[in-house]
Amino acid sequence: MNRHDTTDRRPRTLGRRLRRDRVLLLMTLPALVLVLVFNYVPILGNVVAFQDYDPYVSTNGVTAVLESPWVGLAQFDRVLSDPSFWAAVENTLVFFVLQLLLFFPVPIALALLVHSLLRPRIRAFVQAVLYLPHFFSWVIVITVFQQIFGGAGVIAQTLREHGHEGFDLMTDPGVFKFLVTAEGIWKDAGWGVIVFLAALAAVDQSLYEAAAMDGADRWRRMWHVTLPALRPVIALLLVLRVGDALTVGFEQLLLQRDAVGPGAAEVLDTFVWWTGLRSQDFSYAAAAGLIKGIVGLALVLTANKVAHLMGEQGVYRK
Amino acid sequence: MTPNAASTGSPRTEQSRRGFLATGAVAAVAVAGGAPLLTACGGGGDTGKKDGTTSGKDAARILPAFVASEVVPADVPARNGSAAGFTRAIPAAELKTSVTEKLGKGGALTVMAPFWGTPPAPGNPYYKAMDEAIGVQVTWQNQDGNVYDQKLGAVLASSDIPDLVVVPGWNLGGKIPSAVDAKFEDLGPYLSGDKVKAYPNLAAIPTDAWQRGIFGGKLRGLPMPASYVTNIAPFYRKDLFDAKGWQLPKSADEFLALAKEITSAKAKVWACADMTWTAWNMFGVLNGSDKALGWNLVDGKLVNRIETPEYLEALEWTRKLFDAGVVHPDEKAQNQGDSAVRFTSGQCLMYNNDLSHWYGKTAEMAAQNPRFAMAAMDIPGHAGGSPQLWATNPANIWSFVRKGAPKAVVEDALAIANFTAAPYGTKERMLTDYGVEGVHHTVKDGLPVKTDAGNQEVSSSWMFVASPAPYLAHPDMPEITKAQVAWQQRMGALTRKSSFYGLTIAEPGRWTGLMNDFEQLEKDIVRGRKKLSDMQQAVSEWKSKGGDQLRDWYKKLLDTTGSAAS
Repeated sequence: MNRHDTTDRRPRTLGRRLRRDRVLLLMTLPALVLVLVFNYVPILGNVVAFQDYDPYVSTNGVTAVLESPWVGLAQFDRVLSDPSFWAAVENTLVFFVLQLLLFFPVPIALALLVHSLLRPRIRAFVQAVLYLPHFFSWVIVITVFQQIFGGAGVIAQTLREHGHEGFDLMTDPGVFKFLVTAEGIWKDAGWGVIVFLAALAAVDQSLYEAAAMDGADRWRRMWHVTLPALRPVIALLLVLRVGDALTVGFEQLLLQRDAVGPGAAEVLDTFVWWTGLRSQDFSYAAAAGLIKGIVGLALVLTANKVAHLMGEQGVYRK
Repeated sequence: MTPNAASTGSPRTEQSRRGFLATGAVAAVAVAGGAPLLTACGGGGDTGKKDGTTSGKDAARILPAFVASEVVPADVPARNGSAAGFTRAIPAAELKTSVTEKLGKGGALTVMAPFWGTPPAPGNPYYKAMDEAIGVQVTWQNQDGNVYDQKLGAVLASSDIPDLVVVPGWNLGGKIPSAVDAKFEDLGPYLSGDKVKAYPNLAAIPTDAWQRGIFGGKLRGLPMPASYVTNIAPFYRKDLFDAKGWQLPKSADEFLALAKEITSAKAKVWACADMTWTAWNMFGVLNGSDKALGWNLVDGKLVNRIETPEYLEALEWTRKLFDAGVVHPDEKAQNQGDSAVRFTSGQCLMYNNDLSHWYGKTAEMAAQNPRFAMAAMDIPGHAGGSPQLWATNPANIWSFVRKGAPKAVVEDALAIANFTAAPYGTKERMLTDYGVEGVHHTVKDGLPVKTDAGNQEVSSSWMFVASPAPYLAHPDMPEITKAQVAWQQRMGALTRKSSFYGLTIAEPGRWTGLMNDFEQLEKDIVRGRKKLSDMQQAVSEWKSKGGDQLRDWYKKLLDTTGSAAS
């Protein structure tokens, strides 16, 4: 993304570059520290995946790593031969595919809609309405859904009052995957619009004028001007999303795990949480988490490669 | 929070109860019965042991002496394992002093305890009054009781453990029992035998409650004694039942028939909440609140609750309730808050929870709905007649002192425990339960009534440090107190003790996770997501993965310790 930096023509030594960018570097420092402390340092904790870790054998959990016995790949054997792990993998992939097909296009469509609104006031209003659900916590979102679609919810009660059978969408394992996707869209699709709107704002207006001069109608202008302008952003987000495929919404699913049972709701993240924190089988959970991390890395690299083959920038380029 | 409620158990919410039923591995055993010293499991002696039990002479050497104390005679004396009931408020002038000299040396202590609800602000007048009376300076670390297990696991893995840590029995899952042995101080040097007499209120704690505090061969836990009668009461809306003329069910079939009659989804009224816990009792399923309680000797062979036909029958019946649509839909979802709220609001007319809800919910509703009345029904036998009930443990919440705490800190901790374990009718009990007169409560018609400050600040956390022998006292509602104790006594008459009653047992580490998935499976089955045959499958897997070996392990333990069962 910072391509223009590399076009700087002055001779480049490391010291000179550091001096030149010192203000920028200083500004990134807090973020760097955060990433180090919360993302990189915890990676070291993954060593417990190769142990039979007991956090209480020593004076504290960190030194306990030194005293816990090493067991090689035994934990990975356990994970890979556990049917509930594979059930969680299957659920994770189903959720991912559904979200990709049903969720991913929605912000693009919404961005086009908002972009087409000309009156600033209406536009601001629509944007506010779209963004707002993003700031609700999952507890609230799920309660709202329960109150509307649940067995004692508004719709079921209205039906009963008029002599029909009630229904309960919230505890039906069969429709759960669609329910989760619907909740996700309601909460976060509006938020996803921001990136696309920024990309749309960057489109040169003269392209539209030129296209209109050539007789292109609205649909053709969208097809030939707008969507090509969005392509790099779409590709970038797609790559990121694929890399994150195994992360499909921890809190949302954890909160609804009891409502439909782990058979329908257990995904890799809740599986790790359940075995690690609730059953305190830390090594086992770490092994499962590590497997997830490795698969996620492979996915992101693959998706990036595909993006390059399609002629896009992707997340990075060597 | 009701001040005296905790004498029959903690003011648990449903979620923690779920955890309570799910986990229960505990760490060491003591038997009163003078059984021979156990040598089969673990080392014994002074080094403490990883798993197994401590019993007989070993336990007798560790346990504190018992010196009974009765300040005020109980209005309803304890019988059949019930709590003692006190129906009369004791005027301030007649209150006795049970702590004659201030035992605290003024030290500063941190105490971590679970809390359900919004904890009071630090340094509030109630905390200060307690600190002043005991002679300590406590810094409270109140943690959300519903997720206390997670917090506990992390805190015990840190090098910064609070001076006193409250641990409920239902949070003793996974590796926590081994942490209890590794991280908490042996209180034997301060309390064993006659040493406890320096703390008269602790000396009055019943011996069977103390036995549960022996972890890893040492006396580590200060107990919160509890009645061994089941604490799960099936409550019904007495006001509405009386108005409609509904009769209480006498069997499982009658329960279902009544539930169908009550349910009117159109009017937003459902008969009941998830009644699984009551089903266990109706069908006589062995107790699931503690792993060891789930085993019982039948014709010379140990049987686990999950292997019994009653277990499957109870699940099948509960499933029928869900299938019939008589269970409130939000119970199926399980993420919509407390059943008690649906009960008090009249959306659900029967639910089951800790016996303390009887007083707690009635008091809560007194102002909002004057007609509100609830009661606990006698648990019906599944086929009519009386059910076979199984005893719970005589203590299931402890506080522990961190290992390596200086002598002064341990003594200050014991000073707190001695104060909070003061019996009914003492100034110490009054202050602990009602705070300061004029600030936290006022006396009206001879009854203490809590003020707003009292309701906000007077909390149950202190009682988790230690409590007196089980008692119930609600002087403002003497009828409920009597009814609670009478219910315990009627149920107590039907209660038997299983083979490992009263014993705190640490299973070997490799088997502690065996039962992890069963509670989830139970929920899936009653909600119709899994089949009964899935449970049979899970049980046979449990057997082959270690259940049968665990049976042999427990049998060996039983052969060497003897049983407390009657």
